[in-house]
Amino acid sequence: MSDDVLLSARGLRRTFGTFRAVDGVDLDVRRGSIHSVIGPNGAGKTTLFRLLTGILRPSAGTLHFGGESIGGQPVHVIARRGLVQAFQATNIFPRLSVRDSLRAALISRHGRTRDLLSWSQRSLDTEASTLLETVGLTPLAEEEAQRLSHGDQRALEVALALAMRPRLLLLDEPTAGMSPFESRKMVQLVQRLAQEEQLTVILSEHDMETVFGISDRVSVMHQGQVIADGPAPEVRANSDVMAIYLGSDA
Amino acid sequence: MTMYGPSGVDVGDPSEGSVDPAETPARPPGRTELVPRLLGPIALVVVMAALGFLLSDNVLLTLQEVLALAVFATATNLLLGQAGLVSFGQAVFYGLGAYTVALGWLHWQLPFWATFVMAPLLGALVAVPIGLVALRARRLYFALSTLAFSELAYQLAESRYDFTKGANGVFGAFVPTALTYPRTGYLFVLAVTVASLLLLWKVNHSPFGLVLRAIRENRGRMQALGVNVYLHQLLAFVISGAFCALAGAMFVVYSQSSYPELLDWTTSGGPVFMAVIGGMGTFLGPAVGAFIYQFGHDELVRYVSDWQLVLGVVLLVIVMFWPDGLLGGLGRLARLLRKRRGDR
Amino acid sequence: MDLASLVTPLVGALSAASSLFIVAAGLTLVFGALRLINLAHGSFYMYGAFLATTLAAWSAHTGLWIALVASPLLAAGMGVVVEVGVLRRLYAREHLTQLLATFALLLIFADLALRFWGKGVRGVSPPRVVRGNLELAGAPVPLYDLVIIGAAVVVGGGLWLLLSRTTLGWKIRAVVDDPEVLAASGVNVRLLYTGVFALGALLAGLSGVIIAPQQAVEPGMDAQIIVAAFIVAVIGGLGSITGAAVGALIIGIVETMGASWAPSWASTFIYLLMILVLAVRPWGLLGTPER
Repeated sequence: MSDDVLLSARGLRRTFGTFRAVDGVDLDVRRGSIHSVIGPNGAGKTTLFRLLTGILRPSAGTLHFGGESIGGQPVHVIARRGLVQAFQATNIFPRLSVRDSLRAALISRHGRTRDLLSWSQRSLDTEASTLLETVGLTPLAEEEAQRLSHGDQRALEVALALAMRPRLLLLDEPTAGMSPFESRKMVQLVQRLAQEEQLTVILSEHDMETVFGISDRVSVMHQGQVIADGPAPEVRANSDVMAIYLGSDA
Repeated sequence: MTMYGPSGVDVGDPSEGSVDPAETPARPPGRTELVPRLLGPIALVVVMAALGFLLSDNVLLTLQEVLALAVFATATNLLLGQAGLVSFGQAVFYGLGAYTVALGWLHWQLPFWATFVMAPLLGALVAVPIGLVALRARRLYFALSTLAFSELAYQLAESRYDFTKGANGVFGAFVPTALTYPRTGYLFVLAVTVASLLLLWKVNHSPFGLVLRAIRENRGRMQALGVNVYLHQLLAFVISGAFCALAGAMFVVYSQSSYPELLDWTTSGGPVFMAVIGGMGTFLGPAVGAFIYQFGHDELVRYVSDWQLVLGVVLLVIVMFWPDGLLGGLGRLARLLRKRRGDR
Repeated sequence: MDLASLVTPLVGALSAASSLFIVAAGLTLVFGALRLINLAHGSFYMYGAFLATTLAAWSAHTGLWIALVASPLLAAGMGVVVEVGVLRRLYAREHLTQLLATFALLLIFADLALRFWGKGVRGVSPPRVVRGNLELAGAPVPLYDLVIIGAAVVVGGGLWLLLSRTTLGWKIRAVVDDPEVLAASGVNVRLLYTGVFALGALLAGLSGVIIAPQQAVEPGMDAQIIVAAFIVAVIGGLGSITGAAVGALIIGIVETMGASWAPSWASTFIYLLMILVLAVRPWGLLGTPER
């Protein structure tokens, strides 16, 4: 595995009974890149993500992250190694403020959950403020999480994932249900994360404009397999890919 | 420019027990910010101490009871408002604290100072097995389990006549003479109350306190973040138990007796009641609730025999129309006004 | 050991179990359909009992018989008022809110009862026709014990018939799973809720009048009975009528046997049993785990 490949999958397979949700997937995700996985609904994208984060165990194949094998490892182990997925927005802390939500995640990561004595947590608060800046939620820091708009809640989700200091961030349809304005904000955030934080990002998306706008590489999935993989412009130009998409997407 | 979703409008339930940002500091207070914030509470304490020299004996005695209940309610709110654990069994610890003082004197002639210190320690100790069992049940079943423990404790106290003197209760001179004078008793109880509330405040504002609230908001998420939720809830239960027991020992200064009813589930319901009236989402809410509840009770009992009716109606009205409680509602009003001023 | 010496304690246990069942049935029914814990269930029970004492005092011969109808009706009426006036507004709120509201109602009803009936202890004797003992397998058995057992059978049977054989019963069982779907198919869910709650209250009032001849009717019996009802309902499984019957049997037997061998430990054991069930299998012996 070359130096700049952070995540590598070979022959990854996951079956449910006789149904092959993921059927022999090869994937190389380079460090610091934005790698999109696209495909019609049911192509296996979500299952693939679950295999990567450890929610599902592979039926066959290998998975390497940062040079180490992670196939079959439990979720929290993989998360601590630095492979983190940002959840759907409904998994937030409704009545905590944005800042407190981040602080809670940071306290957990630093293992200081039983700390009764600390008065000020300067380092933690600095980290929280930095995270707020990164995702652009500083003006909303004191707002209750449940009062945020959908787009801002997704940004909070990304911040919570970032609090885990990931090396690789998985985003499952980050712009789903967002207005054009919110989508643009999310897209800019993802770009910033890759460029400024040198974060590796894998995202699954339906919005082609987003995908080809910011991705370095694109993998196209269909019926559990990767049918095309390469730099974004190449994949875009690939007529087979477009046929599949235009055939099944609106 | 950000948009606020429909959840920005209050529809009763989401606002219940909301943590009042006015109570939780946005950033930890820096040295220079701390002084003005402390001014209010310090002034309050000074005033209350001064009242010890101004008020009549009767009122001072009532205040002793109220202060004990304030600690009881605040300690209960660590579970209720902070951890989101509804316990109808904190009276187990309250009664345990009272009985520790009473029985320590009765059976082993232990001095008050020793039993007073033992009370919270025993409370913490007993909280461990109770918590280990009760916390295995979720939410509603946890509440019922704690209710069962409360009744169990009441049963035991009532039936073990040889040890606890049964339904008669324990009476005696276990409180040192000095503390039997209303003024000294009041000042002592006030001092312990201030110390207890300070410690409980510290717990709320520690990383642990935030973790408790986060667990309350999203248990699964915290588990995914690697937090042992069961353990943290147990820790909260133990801390609450300790302070509830301390409150029980404080109560003895006022009552100079201990009896089984201190352990039953209706006594457990009291601090829950007080926390709801005053505001579960604020730190001082339960204490305010205790004041209202007990003064209400004592004053009502004098003029009106229907104190239960009035209290019941008040609780019902608050539960139905004003779920944030007194302080919570005021806090929300203040924030609303601040926001309006800010928008302009 | 001959049959005769077994009969009396057995009947005693069954009678105790029957009393517990009739009280707990209403509580568990309401929880099953409305997912609501009604602390004021004991209040309906108490009012049923007190009304019975009043009517019995007013007419020694027919008072209790009238109460058999009047008490459940009074309780049902109270139930309707409570559901429509208070509980209906709280269905969307957290369980704690509902619990506290019923706790407040408990206080209010307790106070009003003091105004109506005072602080004293009252009693009422069973109707002449069911007084005294009966000989069963050579042992004396209080006739009224058999009455209570009979009442429990009737109530249990009636509830079973209602829930499993009637359309109404089907609706009651269905409403807890998906009230919106039910409403969409034309069922008046609001009325259903009121009806079920009133039925639960009615059962509580009925149990009050039936059990009145066997115990002291006094202030505080509302808080007392609610704990017993909870224990039975929890062990059997909140929401399950059959569970309530099973729970009542277990507790009735333990109570009766314990009363002769080790009275104080019997109650302790019962509480421990409830705690154990809640820790290990909170949905009870016959309940269904909440999704």
